[in-house]
Amino acid sequence: MERTQLRRQVALTRQSLFDQGFLDEQFIQLEDLQDDANPNFVEEVVTLYYRDSARLITNIEKALEKNSLDFNKLDGFMHQFKGSSSSIGAKKVKAECTLFREYCRAGNGEGCTRTFQQIKKEYATLKRKLEAYFQVVRQAGPAETACWPK
Amino acid sequence: MEIMESGAADTQQKHEEKYQQQTEEKHFHVLAVDDSLIERKLLERLLKVSSYRVTFVDSGDKALEYLGLLNSIDNVKATSSSSSSSSSYQSPRQDQGMKVNLIITDYCMPGMSGYDLLKRVKGSYFKDVPVVIMSSENIPSRIGMCLDEGAEEFLLKPLQLSDMEKLQHHLLNSLEHSCERIDKSLNTDSNCIAVRNKSNSNHGSVSRVRRQMT
Repeated sequence: MERTQLRRQVALTRQSLFDQGFLDEQFIQLEDLQDDANPNFVEEVVTLYYRDSARLITNIEKALEKNSLDFNKLDGFMHQFKGSSSSIGAKKVKAECTLFREYCRAGNGEGCTRTFQQIKKEYATLKRKLEAYFQVVRQAGPAETACWPK
Repeated sequence: MEIMESGAADTQQKHEEKYQQQTEEKHFHVLAVDDSLIERKLLERLLKVSSYRVTFVDSGDKALEYLGLLNSIDNVKATSSSSSSSSSYQSPRQDQGMKVNLIITDYCMPGMSGYDLLKRVKGSYFKDVPVVIMSSENIPSRIGMCLDEGAEEFLLKPLQLSDMEKLQHHLLNSLEHSCERIDKSLNTDSNCIAVRNKSNSNHGSVSRVRRQMT
């Protein structure tokens, strides 16, 4: 059955996200909060994350362009960004955020800039992977219903 | 079920109203304070899954405003036209439907921190409302400071479903404490009979709430 194959694909895609270290246990917490009344909660949170954190990314970028870096300000932005990333289980992104904050505390501008490039890369990669994942989830259809997936 | 004594009729009615309100509502009302949109989304889901009613604000100032505690210092200063007493607050929010049973707040927020909010609440009319602090940073001195200031609990972010059980514990404790306060405020034997029945009724509502939450 096509649906079984799709479901299998969902499971494999999901597992690889964990195996490759993109997601951590917090993502499972989000999944546990999904139910029939809120079947798309995970996707909603992830979508909100990418929308909301775009502004933080821009702020950090602007702050890094200044001649004299305000490390307190940068750390503040990163604290927020790390918090959000952590809430969705974005493991690699979160790790880079931690590194960034360490560079802030050490007053290492070059370290901050370098790490920020890495953050943006992981952030974009995760977005692509999650978008692909949610697409398969949608194709596989709701778990318990008898109707065919769209 | 409850024995009405003439002297206690008024107080008895107030208790019936309170009991009625609590059993009708069945859901505890949580005031949640966090400046992050994502954290609020997660918290909202966690609290709703646990059957709490929740009101969100995105800053400590807005929390105080909601509780009716904002500008309390200004009110004390402006004594010429004010008819207030020397108390440090004025008109705290006491609407029947909006009674706050627990405050959960982020520690790190722009402007007023969760710690500052905690201090304000604990120094106010709402000092018996349990306050829970959340933080993404596990700093023992910070935790100690908050607990010393009267926070019931300090939760590490990101929050999980298992953290909701801790809230339940504090909410049920505060419910029992409010029953004790009612007991203490009545000091005649005849009233004790009524109060005992009332306590049984409240325990009924507590177990209903417990069932709902599990």
